[in-house]
Amino acid sequence: MSTATAKHDDHGHDSHGHPTGLMRWVKSTNHKDIGTMYLWFSFTMFLFAGAMAMGIRAELFQPGLQFFQPQVFNQLTTLHGLIMIFGAIMPAFVGFANWQVPLMIGAPDMAFPRLNNMSFWLLIPAALLLVASIFVPGGAVAGGWTMYPPLAIQGGLSMDMSIFALHILGVSSIVGSINIITTIFNMRAPGMTLMKMPMFVWTWLITAYLLIAAMPVLAGALTMMITDRHFGTHFFNAAGGGDPVLFQHVFWFFGHPEVYIMILPAFGILSTIIPTFSRKPLFGYASMVYATTAIAVLSFVVWAHHMFTTGMPVAGQLFFMYSTMLISVPTGVKVFNWVATMWKGSMTFETPMLFAVAVVFLFTIGGLSGLVCAILPVDIQVQDTYYVVAHFHYVLFSGAAMSIMGGVYYWLPKWTGHMYDETLGKWHFWLTTIAFNVTFFPMHFTGLAGMPRRIPDYSQQFAEFNMISSYGAFALGLSQLLFLYVVIKCIKGGAKAPASPWEGAHGLEWTVPSPAPFHTFETPPVVK
Amino acid sequence: MTLSVVNAGASYKAISKPNSSLSSSGKIRVVLLLTVIPCCIAVGFAWLGAWLVLPFVGLEIFALGFAFYHVNSHTEDYESICIDGDSLVVERRTRQQFSQFVLSPYWAKLVRHELPNGELRLGLLSHGKEFEIGRYLTKKQRELLAGQIYKRIGTPYK
Repeated sequence: MSTATAKHDDHGHDSHGHPTGLMRWVKSTNHKDIGTMYLWFSFTMFLFAGAMAMGIRAELFQPGLQFFQPQVFNQLTTLHGLIMIFGAIMPAFVGFANWQVPLMIGAPDMAFPRLNNMSFWLLIPAALLLVASIFVPGGAVAGGWTMYPPLAIQGGLSMDMSIFALHILGVSSIVGSINIITTIFNMRAPGMTLMKMPMFVWTWLITAYLLIAAMPVLAGALTMMITDRHFGTHFFNAAGGGDPVLFQHVFWFFGHPEVYIMILPAFGILSTIIPTFSRKPLFGYASMVYATTAIAVLSFVVWAHHMFTTGMPVAGQLFFMYSTMLISVPTGVKVFNWVATMWKGSMTFETPMLFAVAVVFLFTIGGLSGLVCAILPVDIQVQDTYYVVAHFHYVLFSGAAMSIMGGVYYWLPKWTGHMYDETLGKWHFWLTTIAFNVTFFPMHFTGLAGMPRRIPDYSQQFAEFNMISSYGAFALGLSQLLFLYVVIKCIKGGAKAPASPWEGAHGLEWTVPSPAPFHTFETPPVVK
Repeated sequence: MTLSVVNAGASYKAISKPNSSLSSSGKIRVVLLLTVIPCCIAVGFAWLGAWLVLPFVGLEIFALGFAFYHVNSHTEDYESICIDGDSLVVERRTRQQFSQFVLSPYWAKLVRHELPNGELRLGLLSHGKEFEIGRYLTKKQRELLAGQIYKRIGTPYK
């Protein structure tokens, strides 16, 4: 009697054709196609919201009103925030999850491929609603991405369109999270235990859990907002006995975990890139998993640090101050582990590694300025100033967006089958990093000097730093066009990428050929 | 998805199963972990007056529960194709349903359907009826299975 397990050692097949043309993308249930669509969608939104940022910086180039009336300026800042968060950063990470999670755990696809398709296509009407809100009477929402009442209750049609768009995006996120959770738990290859999973998969598992816990809170808040606007309820309407501050509590209960939803997958990307180019295993894998879990848990008990100036008991202020500071402990564990991974490693600095090292350095700056903001007496001074703008851009641009860029360079050979242009990649890195710092570092000073955010005009004393920030912003925006060029060039051709183009890379995704075949892991890999 | 093939003399058996890396009790624990905290959050906000969070948590838990129920109901799924002498037996368990088809290898024909989306569907045709096989397999595994069955029962219909 002989027993055999079906085995194909030739992964170099993609001979069986796959669907082509437009309908391939519309009807696709393939995780790689859907991941690609997510990434292109998010890059499109990134450029769109980035163009709005250019408008903002053009207006702030010098004091006085140059191009936009205050109402339009506030529409630009609001839509820039909403689109960057919900249209660019989040979908980009979902794109990474779609591409990489099944490949990394040895699954042939996601657990619910049709739901996966639906999750993506829900993004399109939501994005159209957000963008179209610019053109309705009264213009787009202008009360800030946080949509605080009473402004949000008083807003026009665009507010309803934005609420509806966020509801759709929420459904997409929840469905996507359920899909990712069931995939990770149920479709791992034999031998792939939870504590053998790559850190990127771990961070996405925890991110999906955060989405499951936080998204219904946002949905509830938005629904209460819309019933206040149209159905005579008074949840948040002070005129009818409602409590506008309750909205802030509900919103930030969603909003702060949302920050970690946007940064934990970035941590996963860093934990993948740094060991590869240090040619060492990740230092303290288990502590990384526990630190990620600790960050997720703590993210639910810090929300009111966004509201120190709205009024709350001193005991509450102290609790939220200390709990916020506590987050720096697991975050510090992560930074320590990344540095320890690099320590005495045989490091090389290809573009993904350059981005990863820069993220560790710049995100730490953002973390430290966050710690400054957590200190109650300081926060009362810097609340709603450009110091906060500098802080969250150091977290979200250098933390999340630059991790995404590093991740794209890292996995681009696997996705396209070609090596990207290393020289242009490095140019993109240096331009982005320098321009980013020129843009946002001076904002620490303008903020500490007292310049409020969300204003189109400002006092003469802030002129120099604002001009420097604007120059940096224009360079930052233009350098992203180079990123687009490098990606398109890589898709169209270039040196053939081997199955594992990086010497120090480990993981199941590098066992399949480049580009990854349309169907992967037809025979489940065995994890040792 | 796994395909295990057993050859013992003249008999041939192929068993295919979908991926399932979490036990039923593990799934219950995961669902509980995923639902308890959102429920506590929703009850807390309802207590503060923001009760509209509750129905959204309820909807989400329903979707989550259904997804895990669906996944769990397929944990024991398998398909077995056994060719032994003059009998060809296809056994299939899908969710709680068990079905068995006994065919004659002399009459049964392997049918290959190349679908427009690039996929391949396999069937066994006998006495005017067709039974789909290889449902849990990927295209490459179906190719392999088709080759092995072809060796034993003859030319496949394209």
